[in-house]
Amino acid sequence: MSKIEILGFIFVLGLLLSQGCKKEERLTIAVGGAPSEVEYLEKLIGEFEKETGIHVVMRRQPTDTDQRRQELVIALKAQERDPDLFLMDVIWVPQFAASGWLEPLDDYARGSGIELSAFFRGVVEGVDRYHGKLIALPLYVDGGLLYYRKDLLEKFGFSPPSTWDELVRQAQKIQKEVRKKNPSFYGFVWQGAQYEGLVCNFLEFAASMGGGLTDSLGCLTIDRPENIRALQFMKDLINRYRISPPNTYTEMKEEEVRLFFQRGDALFERNWPYAWKLHQADDSPVKGKVGMSLLPSSADGRHVSTLGGWHVGISKFADRKKEAWELLRFLVSKGIQKRLLFDLGWNPGRRDVYSDPEVLKEVPQAAVLQSIFENATPRPVLPFYTRISEILQKYLNSALSGDMEPSEALKSAQKEAEAVFSLYEKR
Amino acid sequence: MKRGDRGRPVSVEALPFILPVLLFMLFLVALPVIGTLINSLFRDVPFLAKRFMGLGNFVRLFKDPGFRESLLFTVLFVLISVSLEMVLGTLFALTMNEESRLTPLLRVAILLPWVIPVAVGARIWQLIYNYDYGLLNSIIVLFGGNPVNWLGSPGLALFSVILADVWKTTPFVALIVLTGLKAIPEEVYEQAKIDGTNLFNRFFLITFPILRPVFTVALLFRTIDALRVFDVIYVLTGGGPGGSTTSISLFAYRYFLLGDFGLGSASSVILFLIALSLSVIYLKAARFKEAIT
Repeated sequence: MSKIEILGFIFVLGLLLSQGCKKEERLTIAVGGAPSEVEYLEKLIGEFEKETGIHVVMRRQPTDTDQRRQELVIALKAQERDPDLFLMDVIWVPQFAASGWLEPLDDYARGSGIELSAFFRGVVEGVDRYHGKLIALPLYVDGGLLYYRKDLLEKFGFSPPSTWDELVRQAQKIQKEVRKKNPSFYGFVWQGAQYEGLVCNFLEFAASMGGGLTDSLGCLTIDRPENIRALQFMKDLINRYRISPPNTYTEMKEEEVRLFFQRGDALFERNWPYAWKLHQADDSPVKGKVGMSLLPSSADGRHVSTLGGWHVGISKFADRKKEAWELLRFLVSKGIQKRLLFDLGWNPGRRDVYSDPEVLKEVPQAAVLQSIFENATPRPVLPFYTRISEILQKYLNSALSGDMEPSEALKSAQKEAEAVFSLYEKR
Repeated sequence: MKRGDRGRPVSVEALPFILPVLLFMLFLVALPVIGTLINSLFRDVPFLAKRFMGLGNFVRLFKDPGFRESLLFTVLFVLISVSLEMVLGTLFALTMNEESRLTPLLRVAILLPWVIPVAVGARIWQLIYNYDYGLLNSIIVLFGGNPVNWLGSPGLALFSVILADVWKTTPFVALIVLTGLKAIPEEVYEQAKIDGTNLFNRFFLITFPILRPVFTVALLFRTIDALRVFDVIYVLTGGGPGGSTTSISLFAYRYFLLGDFGLGSASSVILFLIALSLSVIYLKAARFKEAIT
């Protein structure tokens, strides 16, 4: 083989490699989630295409949340022009915004006359606005709530608990009685495994007892007395009151908790709104026996839900920003939000949907849901929140497993979190 | 004309044949490694200005109790699981090497875990360990014991993760050792039998020395694999309880997820250096070069 042939070989190889990088301008949206949800969104996007004549490429993402995030982080860090818009878990928004990856939407919103007051104020101000700029809008919102067994509470003459003390009392009493027939029955199931859900649960316990991760100045207060009390209470639920199963801190995530309750093995359940539809399904043993309410609080505290949900934002590097905005506006419009509520059980981030007559007729729990979202508190808005959360997950779980005392665990968490703050805070 | 390693010249004619491999190595091995090395020297976080840190990331890691914990876990995991796998794998291989009517069945049974994808295997073990309806606890309860929270305390979780990994990868060791066994001529053993050596002496004086390079390969593969363990843990414990089963790979992955490419790379570099030095030590200790030439 001559040198020219070798050069030619390399040239052809290079040409083949470079071919993959050539891109035309197109509107791309990254969508993930359960297969049925992705299919439904695909249908909606099809309608959008027909309505506007804008061609949309849908990029299917993995189901796993971490993998969805990883995919977006890589694309955005490389300043890729695709995807133009994407869905974000509520806790990614601060990181994406602080990294300068999100296009400010104020001008677009003004230009197309979108009323921001139609959305939940706490959600838009707490999550979608970063340093004064609107950078996303909620596709749907989530909040922790309490499911209870209507039939059992009625049988024993209780009304849904409003304080934690009441919850413990009712659970102990009913658990004792029901166990005579069903030995695997427990009073209260919640998410205690080492993952993000544990932090959501902890924040609700803590805030309902007057605690929180930061004070009004934004300083870290992980080891404050109210938080220690909350963590001790979570531990007591398992070890002292024995109304939560011992595998709470090893295995209990959303689905484990939901199935536990749905089998008819629990009186109370802390979960997200998605569980409602499944509890009411035809093959569910608890169908028609379930009620939902705000989570309890301490006697002098307030009812709190951790805010969850997914938001839509537009990439700073998008090549089709105007069209991307059209699609975003379409997705958060009242009509589509209503359909997402009916068909997927996704709760709109718009308040006006909850007072809609048709919704009130179809979704009897709409009023409870609305008050949950009015009371929902976002997790700390920090670009490095996940790091803080990981530290919390680790130490909260250590305390629940009895490996550490709650006060000791939160002190260590505070120390490690402070180190993270000094590492990532802008200087 | 250049001179190759053993003094053989590398001809231009050979280049097209080596080129694909060279390109492959360059793009898929060398560049990522160099890129990670460079990244590990920077503060590379999307929401902060990029800044040269020198060895600052490494200093930070060794000061971080979370990283030290994951380092300790990874070392313990490698030591225990690889030793168990080597011993069990060798025993399995010796068993599979004996010809009997049951051998084919035995081979299938021993190799089966290796065929199952790691994540699926881990899910199976998750079901076995489940507190409420898991197989292990069902058996314990059946015999009147109290159910055990298999993934609930650091010590037990370490044990459970190791058990799942040993179940999964022992067949790999068995397979490699078996190929080595097949290469030993039967006459050697017959000779030894005539000389009156017993079973243990036959193994330690004949089989083991002949198989040393094979053992080294198995040990090397398993050690490197176990060092970067990720999926079994990701599925089974997620690194918990506490941080007690967080391997270095999982630790690094968390940093990449956060977008901190500097600290993520630095943790990966440490893992790389450990794997590299262990490989060199193994190969030197086993006098691998002499053994295969």
